[in-house]
Amino acid sequence: MRTLILSLFVISSVFFYHVDGQARKQGLTLAERVQQLTDMSNKKAVLRFNGNKFREFVKAAPRSYSVIVMFTAMAAQRQCVVCRHASDEFTIVANSFRYSQGYSNKLFFAVVDFDEGSDVFQMLRINTAPVFMHFPPKGKPKNADTMDISRIGFSAEAIAKWIAERTDIQIRVFRPPNYSGTLALVVLFAFVAGFLYLRRNNLDFLYNKSMWGMGSLFFCFAMVSGQMWNHIRGPPFVHKSQSGQIMYVHGSSQGQFVVETYIVMVLNGAVVLGMILLTEAARGKGDPKKRKILAVVGLILLSVFFSLLLSIFRSKTQGYPYSFLFK
Amino acid sequence: MVQAGSKKSQITRINSKTGINSLIIFVVLLLAWIAGFSSRLFAVIRFESIIHEFDPWFNYRATAYMVKHGFYNFLNWFDERAWYPLGRIVGGTVYPGLMITSGSIHYVLHLLNINVHIRDICVFLAPIFSGLTAISTYFLTKELWSAGAGLFAACFIAIVPGYISRSVAGSYDNEGIAIFALQFTYFLWIKSVKTGSVFWAVAAALSYFYMVSAWGGYVFIINLIPLHVFVLLLMGRFSNRLFTSYTTFYILGLICSMQIPFVGFQPIRTSEHMAASGVFALLFAVATLKYLQSILSKSEFKSLVIFGGLVSAGIVFLTVVGLTYAGYVAPWSGRFYSLWDTGYAKIHIPIIASVSEHQPTTWFSFFFDLHILVATFPAGLWYCIKNVNDERVFVILYALSAVYFAGVMVRLMLTLTPVVCILSGVAFSGLLELFLREDDTPRNEDSEDEDQSPPNSRRLYDKAVAGRVPKMKHEQNKESDGIGPNIRSIVTVVIMLLLMLFAVHCTWVTSNAYSSPSIVLASYSSDGSRQILDDFREAYFWLSQNTADDARVMSWWDYGYQIAGMANRTTLVDNNTWNNSHIALVGKAMSSNETAAYEIMTALDVDYVLVIFGGVIGYSGDDINKFLWMVRIAEGEHPKDIRESDYFTEHGEFRVDAEGAPTLLNSLMYKLSYYRFGELKLDYRTPAGFDRTRNAVIGNKDFQLTYLEEAYTTEHWLVRIYRVKKPDEFNRPRIPVANRVVKSQNFVSKKSSKRKKGTIKNKPVIVKGKRLSTKQV
Repeated sequence: MRTLILSLFVISSVFFYHVDGQARKQGLTLAERVQQLTDMSNKKAVLRFNGNKFREFVKAAPRSYSVIVMFTAMAAQRQCVVCRHASDEFTIVANSFRYSQGYSNKLFFAVVDFDEGSDVFQMLRINTAPVFMHFPPKGKPKNADTMDISRIGFSAEAIAKWIAERTDIQIRVFRPPNYSGTLALVVLFAFVAGFLYLRRNNLDFLYNKSMWGMGSLFFCFAMVSGQMWNHIRGPPFVHKSQSGQIMYVHGSSQGQFVVETYIVMVLNGAVVLGMILLTEAARGKGDPKKRKILAVVGLILLSVFFSLLLSIFRSKTQGYPYSFLFK
Repeated sequence: MVQAGSKKSQITRINSKTGINSLIIFVVLLLAWIAGFSSRLFAVIRFESIIHEFDPWFNYRATAYMVKHGFYNFLNWFDERAWYPLGRIVGGTVYPGLMITSGSIHYVLHLLNINVHIRDICVFLAPIFSGLTAISTYFLTKELWSAGAGLFAACFIAIVPGYISRSVAGSYDNEGIAIFALQFTYFLWIKSVKTGSVFWAVAAALSYFYMVSAWGGYVFIINLIPLHVFVLLLMGRFSNRLFTSYTTFYILGLICSMQIPFVGFQPIRTSEHMAASGVFALLFAVATLKYLQSILSKSEFKSLVIFGGLVSAGIVFLTVVGLTYAGYVAPWSGRFYSLWDTGYAKIHIPIIASVSEHQPTTWFSFFFDLHILVATFPAGLWYCIKNVNDERVFVILYALSAVYFAGVMVRLMLTLTPVVCILSGVAFSGLLELFLREDDTPRNEDSEDEDQSPPNSRRLYDKAVAGRVPKMKHEQNKESDGIGPNIRSIVTVVIMLLLMLFAVHCTWVTSNAYSSPSIVLASYSSDGSRQILDDFREAYFWLSQNTADDARVMSWWDYGYQIAGMANRTTLVDNNTWNNSHIALVGKAMSSNETAAYEIMTALDVDYVLVIFGGVIGYSGDDINKFLWMVRIAEGEHPKDIRESDYFTEHGEFRVDAEGAPTLLNSLMYKLSYYRFGELKLDYRTPAGFDRTRNAVIGNKDFQLTYLEEAYTTEHWLVRIYRVKKPDEFNRPRIPVANRVVKSQNFVSKKSSKRKKGTIKNKPVIVKGKRLSTKQV
């Protein structure tokens, strides 16, 4: 059956290319086009259009269906990294629609690659990729029919929401479950278990308090320096201003850069190290000279790095009056 | 200090030493209490003794109701003035601990014939409890480390901004008393683990009961204590003490916590509490194994452990999964789930994501709230790990879990603060103990203790440093063994300076960031004089005086409690955000155009609409700035009618000037905020209709309201109240024929060619035996 449809389609397309200009202007009737589109999308959720097909199915006048078209440049020499992500997300949406309850012939997903249909890009005056456009059944696409990637991004959920806004077709995004996290966890556990098994006669290292202490301290520093915020908000690494200056510290108290959090982490660590060195110096029973040096180093670490921390803090707070050692 | 005192041989010296020790402890704790109390009074001194913000207004209203009508009526209270038309069962949906606490203080004071208004008790409750928190922190730290560390921790927690943020005078909220309950429960728990006595375990359970009655954060306790037990088991530290204390605590705590109506059967039905019961079962299994080990041979025991362990673990796991699927055990609630999967709330629950307290925490907030403690508490953690024992395992787990939760949610900084104070206390006292002790000579043993305590009461830093420095100089010429007196004194001075910095930082933060009542605003003019903006209370007072007693006021949910508390009027939604669809309906009304909004408002019987508008004075927390959340929440429930993208310009900006999206410029919220604002010229440098909050000239200046009329606008336009017109009041716009209930009939002459005869309209029809009636058209 599938081969039959395929061969029919091939024949029809061959036929389509051989007919003269008169017939091409005439094109296929609406029913035929819908039928073809449905057949094609049954095979593959995202249709690949070149210039001719685009004009045939998307530009042709009477339509009863919406088409969501992603204009992209997937070829390797174009070096479009974003396009690949966008394409993955787009495929997820298309597949979710294809295998959902609400699957109908009112909505089709298509992709036009720059290297296959550059004339389409010229026709629509698109000079960036990826671009998502919605072609409504009636009339021309308006401004809002181009998805605003810079604002809402192109995650599958955002695309689905945008489609729901434009076409009133709700698509529940079903992501193919991502096993990589689980797999990594399993591998990690296997490693740990294997390691423990190999070392089963010598498990003393588990009672190594320094190791546990370092781990806990590192966790504390990571949390206190706002790594969780970075994880959730995804701020830029550093900020480059228009004059080319690189800003390492976010100017306001509401935000932070990734580099900034690392700096803070190091400063916190240095202060703690200073505290510990001081305590050990005073407690130890060793060489007095060595202990003196330890104490001085600890004191310097504590005071200098804490003042640095304070001055970064001060630069982010308006009207904060206090400082220590440095302004 | 206590350790130093215990080694003395002469009994008289011991007596005098313990006497001085307890005097010092007493004085330091007293000073901590007083300092903590007074640094929380900024708002009362600057403004007046009023309840702050939003939630406290509900708590205050509920407390006043309880004092007036009695406890049982309070438990049965159905509040028909909230969530119109649904109402709210208050007694079953609050944690009553706060109301009971202040109610009983009120009762006792009145028994003693001290007439204090319940409002003043509510205002000063949190500062008073901060002192109790300091004392229980002292006891907890003393159990964990030493009395010196305890004093440090008590002083830290008395003034640390992370805790003050929730407990200034007037901030009458659950957290104010809950942190005390938290620390006290932990103290009793540690005590019971150490002693293994049923008495302390029962006390811990009772304290836990108080915590459950006071705050939803009790879930933290009921997960942390089982985690402690679990880790102790993993470390092979099972003991009969542990068994006694946990089993007693768990059973009693479970039964007690179920007595709170709001908690009800949750402790046995929700996933948040399952860890506790799992550990309970595990503890029994381990105890049984330990017993079997004592009577079985080694090989028998080994096979039993492997077989029995696997089987029982499988059974337990399957049971829990089965119960969850069958619906007996509820899965994690959204708020808790968002703690683990950090992206969850943003996608699924806009109403949780919209609250600023539920945002993740920047390093700036950590430093702002904890200052030097954030950089030193890991040192204390390090020493706890190095010298680990049963109870220090607890504080390690406490620190690690709290620091994670605080990273995820700003609000949970509150649970991190106590443990940070404890661990910093450990770090600082460990340091200073060593740096001050080595001057210890028989000559001034007693004065050494005095030396050591003033740094503890850091609030007297002037005195401490003044007394400190000469003494160190004086001691410099003494011989020393270790690192030398110079370095020692320098270190001491630096630490004193750092602690002083901490103290002034705390005061500065408290005064500048956490002492605003947020219902009275203050602005400072260029010459430094202060201007009080009392618009909120002005508007609420107007409502209470000029509207009918049963008038329904629609506003965004933030102001629900205040309207109920101060104006005593019925509200549609309030800060208890339990009904998302109702809130979405209000959000839809605010974000629709006037006609569509009027339909919703008539359906909800709205009489007045209240909006907060900060464009005149430049107040940034107004409704236009919150507007996108209204749109988002409305969109969540009504995706067909409200679309977030309609409210942005083509470039994806949210702007109110002429380039703003037309949907925004015609939305009800926009119109109510900017009605008549286009005529207002604030000063001669800016054009008319210049919005100071958003620094833009508004885009839709000249419009009239059809369905509403302005009822009242406060002095600085901060609160604007509109009255919803009744259908007969406004000049009704033309309704299309198709929508008319009474269809007007286009008159068609019946004089066709067939019937030339004229007819009389409404001709009386006379039927024999009936009364004369006109024919109905």
